[in-house]
Amino acid sequence: MYGGLHSPRSLPSPSALLDLAREFTPRVEARGPTPVLLDLFGLGRVWPTPQALGQAILVAAQGRQIEAQVALAWSRATALVLARGRPGLTIVSPGKEAEALAPLPLALLDLDLERSELFARWGLRTISDLARLPVAGLAERLGPDGPRLLGLARGEDDGLFVPTAAPVAFEMALELDWPVDGLEPLSFLLARVLEPLCAGLAARGRRAATLTVDLGLVDGSTHRRALRPAAPSGEPRTWRTLVLLDLEAHPPRDAVQAIAVRAEPTPARSVQFSLLDPAQPSPERLAETMARLHSWTAAGRGGAAALLDTHRPGAFAVGTFAPGPVTPRAPAPGSPRVALRAFRPPRPARVALRDGAPAFVAAAGVRGAVVDHAGPWRASGDWWDVAWSREEWDVALLGGGVYRIFRDRLREAWFVEGELD
Amino acid sequence: MSTAATVKSALEDLLKARRLSADAPPLRGEDRRGRPLPTGVATIDAMLFGGFPRGQLSEVHGPASSGRTGLVLALLARSTGGGALAAFVDPDDRLDPSSAAAAGVALARLLWLRGQKGLAEAVAAVGTLAGSGLFETVVLDLAGVPEAERRLPGATWIRLQRTVEDGPTALVLLADRHVACGPGGVSLALAPAGPRWSGASGPGRLLSGLRARATAGRHVLRRADLLLRTLA
Repeated sequence: MYGGLHSPRSLPSPSALLDLAREFTPRVEARGPTPVLLDLFGLGRVWPTPQALGQAILVAAQGRQIEAQVALAWSRATALVLARGRPGLTIVSPGKEAEALAPLPLALLDLDLERSELFARWGLRTISDLARLPVAGLAERLGPDGPRLLGLARGEDDGLFVPTAAPVAFEMALELDWPVDGLEPLSFLLARVLEPLCAGLAARGRRAATLTVDLGLVDGSTHRRALRPAAPSGEPRTWRTLVLLDLEAHPPRDAVQAIAVRAEPTPARSVQFSLLDPAQPSPERLAETMARLHSWTAAGRGGAAALLDTHRPGAFAVGTFAPGPVTPRAPAPGSPRVALRAFRPPRPARVALRDGAPAFVAAAGVRGAVVDHAGPWRASGDWWDVAWSREEWDVALLGGGVYRIFRDRLREAWFVEGELD
Repeated sequence: MSTAATVKSALEDLLKARRLSADAPPLRGEDRRGRPLPTGVATIDAMLFGGFPRGQLSEVHGPASSGRTGLVLALLARSTGGGALAAFVDPDDRLDPSSAAAAGVALARLLWLRGQKGLAEAVAAVGTLAGSGLFETVVLDLAGVPEAERRLPGATWIRLQRTVEDGPTALVLLADRHVACGPGGVSLALAPAGPRWSGASGPGRLLSGLRARATAGRHVLRRADLLLRTLA
């Protein structure tokens, strides 16, 4: 037996009817917020008569402040149409479907505008008007849609029952009989919640993009940590390591009484690597390694550098280290390039000039007479913001070493920018 | 039977027996040792018999302006340009990303750990990076670190050598003077041979490069001259 559940009034929530239907059976097909179709086969042991079952659904709806219309029938189409067309509870015996549908208006069959206008021109008003038409004539005029509509008007099912999947929450929780203190015992308990969680994710072809760990503490508070590695993972071992590394850096202030983990699922990645490029690192292992370097990356002192689109010397930003796919690059120059070993910040210097050029440089760690030089090279910019203007020199010192020095023309001060190496 | 046919036949036999795995015995003539990492500088690569060895602790050392940073950046450029990952641990925060990009380093594939956490933490980070096996080249920049701060337990370098041993990573120390070198690693000493200028003294003159002399090996010394350019 099938049940049709409909509410003519607005619902407290879009899934209110679906939630109500799931109280009676897990096999539920939603046609939007309303109506909802219930597969009621096998419920005769709990509710001996269809009347008792229908009343139970109506009572449950009243308890949820839902004005419900319920129809129980042996065909899905009949249950759905009657639920929308008749108030209260309607029960249809087997074989009486067409008779029950007959007086209802044709609009309940969800016809499109073109069909509705056509049937109105034919003078059809009720479902019985349509059900009485000859099938051959309808098929000649409407094609395959004609027999289908006729079957619907006679309460015959078309298509299959397609159950609506219940939303899956990827959550696991563990209540402990005795509180645990320290990370080592916690690691075993984390494995007990993470392994089934990751198995559930894998069964649905998902990975966890983020993992929220709630540790219920003995003092009644909750220690919450949210982890979001560079790449989603479905490996319980990786997640356990990431959680433990994070808890090492941010330990709970009291013993742990309960553990709850919640994963934010994301579709599993499918990446086709090239046979010709080097093998790329496993995202899980990279995330684990980066978590081990948390003390560097958290302080913003670790990551991948990126040059900024500016002429200001030495401008760069450090972002998250997340190497993407390999992109073809021009081969590196055959001859090595001179590199600057920067002093951050540039070291203030005292510079003696001879004929307008540096003759002696003295700064922290850098001191000597200038034996040769190149320059000056002037550069300036950002006049609309924090302006800079400088005069650069490359100087070779008597004691060895070639340095880049500059005169800040706005502050009238000399600095050593770095060593050329 | 030709060598290629022999190898093909042996491979097919292993496939049939489902024994083609990393722990299978090497095929005849198969060299399982990882290829050394070249710097792309022909004279240096020839001197090092191909480049810096994987699974070994090597070093590049020399005084200021001897070209040690330029040479290490050339190694990183080859490594990251080929699609591998590299790391630069920089306790003194001296790396200039503009210079690295100009040398051809793919900055997105270079993990840069920079500064002011102390040498012990930097060495621990190197251990983590080298032990992960994800990075083809890991560089620890010790150049310019004061002698007092550079004092580390004697077993530090032995431990790092053991960490990278048999792995795909080449661990390279960049220093002012000799620090440590693994049993199969290379110790490359650079000595400055003076800067090269673009013309006569006066306005408009440019520093066009740095000349250096490289010496490698501990028992049989091999030497090569090196020129680092400022312009392409």
